[in-house]
Parts: sequence; structure tokens; C-alpha cells
Amino acid sequence: MSAGTTLAPDEQRLGAGAPIQDTKSDKIALACIYTALGLFCLAVLYPIVYVLSASVSNTKLVSAGEVWLWPVGFTLDAYKAIFDYKSIVTGFGNSVFYAVVGAVVATVLTLLAAYPLSRKGLPGKGIIMAAFVFTMMFSGGLIPTYLVVHELGLLNTRWAMILPTALAVWNVIITRTYFMVTIPEELVEAGKVDGCSDFGFFWRVVLPLSKPIIAVNLLFYAVGSWNSFFNALIYLTNEHLFPLQVILRQILLQTKVDPSQMADTSKLAQMQELQQQLKYSLIVIGMIPPLLVYPFVQKHFVKGAMIGSLKG
Amino acid sequence: MPNDHARPGLSRRSLIAGALGLTAAAGGGVLSACSGSSNANSAAPGSGAAAPSVTLGPKLTTVQYPDGYVGPIARQLKPITSEKVTFKIVVKQDVTIGDWKTNAFTKWLEQKTGVHIEWMQVGGTDDDVMTKVNAMIAAGDIPDAFLGIAFTRSQLFLYGQQGLFTDVGQYIDGYALNLQQAMKDYPDTRKLIQAPDKKIYSFPGINDCYHCRASDGRAWLNTEWIKQVGLAMPQTTDEFQEVLRAFKKADLAGNGKTIPFAGYKDSAIDPFFMNPFLYNPGEPWLVIRDGKVDVAFDKDEWREGLKFVNSLYKDGLINRDVFTADEDQLKRYGNASGKPLIGGARTNYWGVFLDIDQKDPQARWRQYEACPPLKGPNGVQYAAWDYTGVGVEVAHLVITKKCAKPEQLVQWADAQYELEAILRGYGGPAFSWAKKGELGINGKQAVYGFDATWNSQKNINWSQDNPMYRSQDFRLSERVNPKDMTFEKPLYEQTRDKYFPHKQPPEMQFPPVTLDQDQAAQEAELRTNLKGEVNQSFAKFLTGQLDPNDDGAWNDYKGRVEKIGVKPYLELQQAAYETYNG
Repeated sequence: MSAGTTLAPDEQRLGAGAPIQDTKSDKIALACIYTALGLFCLAVLYPIVYVLSASVSNTKLVSAGEVWLWPVGFTLDAYKAIFDYKSIVTGFGNSVFYAVVGAVVATVLTLLAAYPLSRKGLPGKGIIMAAFVFTMMFSGGLIPTYLVVHELGLLNTRWAMILPTALAVWNVIITRTYFMVTIPEELVEAGKVDGCSDFGFFWRVVLPLSKPIIAVNLLFYAVGSWNSFFNALIYLTNEHLFPLQVILRQILLQTKVDPSQMADTSKLAQMQELQQQLKYSLIVIGMIPPLLVYPFVQKHFVKGAMIGSLKG
Repeated sequence: MPNDHARPGLSRRSLIAGALGLTAAAGGGVLSACSGSSNANSAAPGSGAAAPSVTLGPKLTTVQYPDGYVGPIARQLKPITSEKVTFKIVVKQDVTIGDWKTNAFTKWLEQKTGVHIEWMQVGGTDDDVMTKVNAMIAAGDIPDAFLGIAFTRSQLFLYGQQGLFTDVGQYIDGYALNLQQAMKDYPDTRKLIQAPDKKIYSFPGINDCYHCRASDGRAWLNTEWIKQVGLAMPQTTDEFQEVLRAFKKADLAGNGKTIPFAGYKDSAIDPFFMNPFLYNPGEPWLVIRDGKVDVAFDKDEWREGLKFVNSLYKDGLINRDVFTADEDQLKRYGNASGKPLIGGARTNYWGVFLDIDQKDPQARWRQYEACPPLKGPNGVQYAAWDYTGVGVEVAHLVITKKCAKPEQLVQWADAQYELEAILRGYGGPAFSWAKKGELGINGKQAVYGFDATWNSQKNINWSQDNPMYRSQDFRLSERVNPKDMTFEKPLYEQTRDKYFPHKQPPEMQFPPVTLDQDQAAQEAELRTNLKGEVNQSFAKFLTGQLDPNDDGAWNDYKGRVEKIGVKPYLELQQAAYETYNG
């Protein structure tokens, strides 16, 4: 994209008439761009297509290496098998819950933190911002954080998945920049002249103007939460609260252990069978929700993230 | 959770220590604060241990045992307590176990023993689980027990010395009669499970898996292919090379796709290929030579082994991706439709390189037979036999100082060493006692059998996480079902016939030692570095990047491992070995 915009001045400088014929160098550049993007697109698409195909193919044929692009021996057994494992189904539900609730909570917090920081008049703004940024570089470490969560009584509750690490400072900075750029001080003053309070202004003026950045925040937080597993590992000890990723991890990574350390061959056989059966369908299940959401947020995404980040 | 064992004062101490990065010290701090309250508890049962207060239930008379059977006995389990007791136990989450609360074995055990367990399930891989458990310990958020959490011997010793883990050795005589019997049946058990301070910090899982003792050095060859090229199962390194050459020449897979012999990245191939030259148990390559700990990888015989694998690789007899292929890739070779692509493989068992179909007597896996340990040019022929690493595992149940009534938990653990509990614990409820005349894997009277393949069901057992006692006689007394021939029988027979006769003398094997905290840290670093160097160089020598026939390359390699610290590594292991031998 950036390559495309740099081409434009060149074309003007050549001084040709209105509809410009692509010069030879333009053509080469374009060809390069299309090839590069095409290859990139393939690199992203191929694994997705492969996993999709493998998930609806006969497991035996997959492991015999018959599947390389399209499904062979179509069957939905792998998806049926998922429903045999209650923890996968509840895990999926939990993941959706954590992603939705987590994203809403986090976005609300982000907006509430970012807006005041975008205004000139906030006393102690520098100190607050410094405190935020400080946490980007230094963290308390695993055990102190665990102790805090423990003492707050959040251990083994759904809140442990939502409240700790709810706010991402990076998102606060993007959002703050967005506010600084799109909502000028003059607008605030105009509001004040008309007798609008700070909260009223935020609610009636700022929020309606901020749909793109809200969408970006929701998406970032939801995807982040969808992919995360560490908090669940550390804070949860009840299987009914586990998100999908923890279960995915157990199934997909646990069988990667050194077989010589497996005490018993029958246990190894069991794990292999399970993995073969569920591997691809689980990956598909884990990948679908973000894929479904992206297209709807796409148009806001470019706008929001670009404004927020470029002039930071 | 308001009823959590919240101790503000305590946690603050560990918070400070934790912030300083002193995780282990924090655990210690917590415990020293804790032990004051629990000393009172441990004193009473300690005195109770002197006078045994429990007896075993009567034997079940319906169960048949073969003559000379050594192993767990079916008895009636007696309730441990009449009042309702609850213990908090940390376990691994596992989709095959499902919800620990509703698991069939959980319910059965609770009904029999009267002990209720509040499960705390930790998710993820084994490493993840350890991260969580360490955080819990450092934060003083400690359960009554850990079940199936893979603490190493050194960790058990460390936490045991800090007073966090209970010495269950003091309760075994009085409260764990099944385990006591098992320890009589397997006299080495005590030595293998006790820490250097002679205390026992965990309940073992005894699982005398015969074929597992040879699994690191086992390899397979396709007998159909051997017939087709008109040769016999190789016995020596030369014959082995000849067979592989013949495979390649005949191109039995067709289209030049034949891979005479394959390995993959998750199973080291050196235990198979080095034992014709010197005894090599595989990583960390420690052996005992005249009472001294030594390593195998810097000996001249090792170099001869390198020359051998190098010549195989040069001739294209070993797959090009032997160090990079994963299991999926290997299976693609083995499962290839039409004909298999591989003539042989170095894997633990068949299931790694092809799918096992137990019902089909013509299934492809049955073409592959164990290749015996090869005899080298100097007549050396070892099968690396694991006497001590397999059979007795520590840490299947660890009781902590938090537990107010350890003697009850000890009895609960001991109940799991009873025959029916064992069957339900690893298999599930679908077992039945064998009738008189039904035969087991070893051809003698069977004791039990499973009517369904237990490993495809969920939520019925504890997937071998818990304490258990599966002696060799027990394992081999599983009834053979002619309709569903498991791979256990051929695996047992081929291991017995081909590997067992060539096992190295037991005194050559380096046993599982326990290190103290400082040693453990030093050992971990040295081992990682040595492992990297030896494995990398093995790969380079094999692929010809380094020439094993070149004295310079070999001496450089020896210099590199020397520099990493073979000597301090051996001194450390020697000290631990002497402690182990007491």
C-alpha cells in the first residue's frame, strides 16, 4: 500500500496527460507488488485451506499423506468427536464469554482512561501517563501478581480471566491519540459554552464520533482474550471455567512429549489416537470466531488504527 | 473464594521474597511459618504408626491367580472413615479423564473409602502445570495433596526438606499395607523412592512395563520386505547394512521412494545404533564403569558407531529428514497408501510410524518385527535395558503439610494399590475377572480382562496419574481376546525373545539419583549444554558434515565436550550416585 502511494508523485512528475500509461518501471513495480502480495496471501491461505480440508477428511488418509489441498474421504467424524468431550464444548462457551465480556470491560476502561488523558487540562496528566507507560516496561512478576489475585479473592473465578490485565496500555495510547486528533479542544469549548458537562460531552459527542476506535479496541481485546491461555493456567483450577485454548494446548502439545518418557505404550497410543482425531477440527473451531468477526470490523479497523497510531 | 486458606501475614512475607525472585526461599518462608501448626498433627499419627491400626479387607475369592503370581491382590476395600472428610487435591486437567468430580473412578473410590475429594484442576501441558504449581507453592496457596503432578526426585527432596511435603515413609508400616506388600514384591522400590535423607516424600506408581524397559533401543524391520529380497533378519551390523542396501536396490516402495530405514526427531536413534559398539542407554549417556560414573559419547567405540551410521546415511539408507521429521511425517511414510515407504524404523513401538489396526490380522503393522540388537565387528551386542528408570515412578501422590489428617490420605492412597482399584483406576469399569482356564498374555491363567477397548472411552479412569501397582505378572495376566489382539502381546514377546537376552548387566546402568538444590541447578545447565553439543555433533557426523574418519574432527568434538564440562558433570553425578547407594 505504501509502495502504491509513493508511485503517484512519480507519475505526475513525468508530466503525461490525464489517463497515465504505466511506464515500464511502474509495470515492473506493480508486478513485484502483486507477486509479493500474492505469495503472502498464499502463505496465509494455504494452511487455512489445508487445516479445513484435513478436518473433514478421513483421519487415516490424512495420516497417509493423501490430503494436501482438498478433502479426501469426506467425513464429519472429527467434529462429532468434539462433542464427546464435554470440556471442549464448555471451553468453547467459556472462551466466547471471556472474549465478549472481557472485550467490553476492557474497552470501557480504555475509553475512560484515554479520553481524559487526551485533554489538555487534566492535572497530573504527565504523571498518570508515565505510570501507565511504566507498566509496559516493568511487571510485578508472576508470583506477586498471583498473590494479588489470590488476596483479592479472584482465584478460580471468571473474574480472574477478565480483570487482571484487562487494560492494555498500548490500546490506551492509540485511543488517546485518536481522541486528540479527531476531537479538537475547540469542540470541547463549544460544548462548555453551551453548558455541557464533561460527562455529557463524553457521552453525547465523543462516543458517537469514536465508533472506529471503539471497534478497534473491541476487536483487539476480543482476539487477545480469545488467544490467551496463561491467565487461565495460573488462576483457574476448575475445569468448568477453562477456556478452549487451555484444552487445545493440552491436546495438541501434550502429545509432543518425548515418547521415551512415556511410561506406558497404551497411554501413548491413547494420546496419539486422540490427537489424530481432534487435531484439525479443534484448530478450525479455535480459528472460526475471529475469522467471523474480522470482516465486520474491517472498515473501522483501518480507519481507527491508522489515525490512532500514525500521529502518536 | 472466601474460605480459601488466606493468611495475610504469611503471604506478605512471600510477596516480598517473591518480588526479589526468591521463589524457592519464599516457599521455605511460608513453610516455616506453617509447620508450627502442623507439627501437632504429625506427632499423633507418628506415634500411631508404631502400632498398626488398620488391617486389610478379606480377599475376593472369585478371582483366579496363576501359580507363583506376584502382584496386587483383590480385596474388599473398607471405608477409611465414618465421618465425612474432604481433602483438597491438585490434579492435571485431561480431556480423557474429563471432569474429575464426575469421573467414574472418582465416584467408585469415594463410595468405597468414604473420602471426599475437592479437586483443583490445573490445565495445559506438563510444563504449564509445573508453573502453576510453583506459583501456588510460592504463594502459600497449598492443597492437601498433589496427584499426578510430575515433581522430579530433586524437587520432592527440596520441598520435603523445607517441610512442605510430608514424609509418608513413617505411615507406610501402619497405614499402607498394600503398598507395603508391593515394596516386598519389588525390593528395590524403597531405594528408588526415598530421598537422600532416607525419607519418602511421595507415593510411587509401580508399573512394571516389561517392553518399556527396551523401548529406547528398539527398532523395526519389515519381514515381508526381507523375504522379498531373499535375506534373513539381520543379526550383525554388516547384515543390517546388507538388508537395507537390498531394500534400496529392490526399491520395494516403487518409484525410487523407498526409505530403507527411518527415524524421527522425537526418538533418539543413537541407543539402537551405538549398542553394537558400546553400552549406550541414550541421553544423558551416563553409564557405570567399575563403580565409576562415566559417559559414553567420548569413547573411541562411540566413534566407530558414528562411522557406521555415517556409512548408512552416505548410502542413502536412512531418511534425509531423520532429525527433522515429526511423527506426522513418519506416519505419512508408514501409512502411504498402496505400499509402505519404509523398510524399517527406530521407534518405541509400531504406532509411531503407522496406524495400528488391532482387529485386522493382515494389518500392515504386523509385517514389522523387532530387529534384534545388532552385533558389532568386535562382538559387542547390547540391548539397552532400563532396570531402574521404568517400573517405579515417584510423585504419583504427594501429601503436603497442609493436610490435617495425613493418615487418612495415606489409607486412601493405599486403597489404590488394591487390584480392583488398579483396574478401575487405569482401565475403567468395563473389566471382568477371568474364568478358570482363560489365558493371559504370558500364556498362563489370566486374572482379568477388558471387554471394551478402554482407551477410547472418556471420563471413566484416572489415566495412570494416581498411585498404582501393576507388577509384571499383573500386566501379563490380562486375558487375551482372540477377536481383538492388542499390540501388547507381540510387543511383549518380541521384546522377551530379542532384547531381553542381550540386556546389559544391571550394574552398568546409571540409576535415577536425587540431587540437592545447588547440584540440581548446576546439573541442569551442564546437561543442557552437553545434550546440545552431543546431539548436534551426532547429527553432523551422521550426515557427513563432520567426517568421523577424520581424526581432527573427532578430536575437536572431544575437546568441545570436555570444555563444556564433562568432568564437573561426572563429579556431580558420582557424588549423587554414591548417595543413592547409601
